[in-house]
Amino acid sequence: MKIEGRFIFPASIQPVWELLIDPQSLQACTPGCKSLSEIGNDEFEATLEIGVGPIKGTFGGKILMREKNPPFSYSLVVEGSGAVGFVRGEGKLTLEQSEDDKTAVLVAGDAQVGGLIAGVGQRLLEGVAKQMMGQFFRCLQSQLGTRLAKSAG
Amino acid sequence: MKPARFEYYDPRNLQEALEILHAHPDDGKILAGGQSLMPLLNMRLARPKIIVDINRIEGLNYVKATGTGVAIGANARQRALQTERLIGERLVVLREAGSFIAHPQICSRGTICGSLAHADPAAELPALAVALDAELVATGPNAARAIPAGGFFQSYFTTALQPDEILTEARFPAPPEDMAWSILEVSRRHGDFALVGIVAGLAVERERPVINRARLVYFGVGATPMRVNAAEALLIGQAPGEDAFDAAAQVAGQEIDPSNDIHATAEYRRAVAATLTRRALRAAMEKLKAN
Repeated sequence: MKIEGRFIFPASIQPVWELLIDPQSLQACTPGCKSLSEIGNDEFEATLEIGVGPIKGTFGGKILMREKNPPFSYSLVVEGSGAVGFVRGEGKLTLEQSEDDKTAVLVAGDAQVGGLIAGVGQRLLEGVAKQMMGQFFRCLQSQLGTRLAKSAG
Repeated sequence: MKPARFEYYDPRNLQEALEILHAHPDDGKILAGGQSLMPLLNMRLARPKIIVDINRIEGLNYVKATGTGVAIGANARQRALQTERLIGERLVVLREAGSFIAHPQICSRGTICGSLAHADPAAELPALAVALDAELVATGPNAARAIPAGGFFQSYFTTALQPDEILTEARFPAPPEDMAWSILEVSRRHGDFALVGIVAGLAVERERPVINRARLVYFGVGATPMRVNAAEALLIGQAPGEDAFDAAAQVAGQEIDPSNDIHATAEYRRAVAATLTRRALRAAMEKLKAN
């Protein structure tokens, strides 16, 4: 399953980069993230409770940040499994600052979902993934707004 | 295939059911026909702590006349769309839809309100509710409120219903008499969930051949039933015919937001949506001529 997206942040590249590698904002903005703890250099252990209406699943897994090239790009590797199935994915985030001082974050990834959830939920997976990615970045956008307001004040 | 443990309640009246739900916020689930819920329970994809079975509540199994429309109670089965005379008289498109909604065995058990509350984005009834401006009555512990269908469906399996509310009635107003409707879908097997489906409505001015109202609502192409206003707007003021239908079909194909899955690619779904738009509008036009 391919995952692609483009999200615009109204700030220059450096604060957006800092936001995108900050474990606290990642935890706050990842839909259903119950816990995120650093277990090594750029390695995190996470618990996610993902719910789509009455369908709920808890996933435990690891998130790794790789190929960091500050402040331009990094890769996220996600591995998780739970009673209803597993997910494995890798995505590259690329930051591009435009002339009007905005930063575009491009996401290009590939994910595999397996187990029960993939069998019965196949027709919903991509849509739900898209929706969760949208929630994630909209949340980060509002976090950035809060940060900028604080530093300005 | 056994569900996780849950507590089972089968209240005899609505008030009791509402009290049970209210006492267990976020843990309860209503069981009516069980055609969506039971598989989810058995596969343990859903693990509600409380099941409130509403089948034994009297007075919820009805299809009745309201003004010019119909009201459908929480325990009315999908089969009623085919068998109730009132549906055939006042909302023919619901009867036509009956032939697409699931397989006969499922329709004998599954309820109309259950399908609406479940809010599967590929299901026919939510799209019909949006297209026909239905109102969905959510009854809570203290009051009932009527939610317009356009604001009821929020996302995949997610509605405006609160955890302590029950969808007790769906109210379908009879569509204006000069409007003709058509429902079409493409699925791998008849009765399966639609890869793409459409509910289309069309009205033409009395004195001259100009479209004055149009409705285009798609299902199976996003998180909720999707009304495509941009395509509707292209039809208004045009002569009903292939040119206008084509233009609307192309815009509809672009505006919807379908996904890829093992059954079909997003591109294929867009193409099918455009084709179904043309067919549905033609079919609606034929009905207008026949009247």
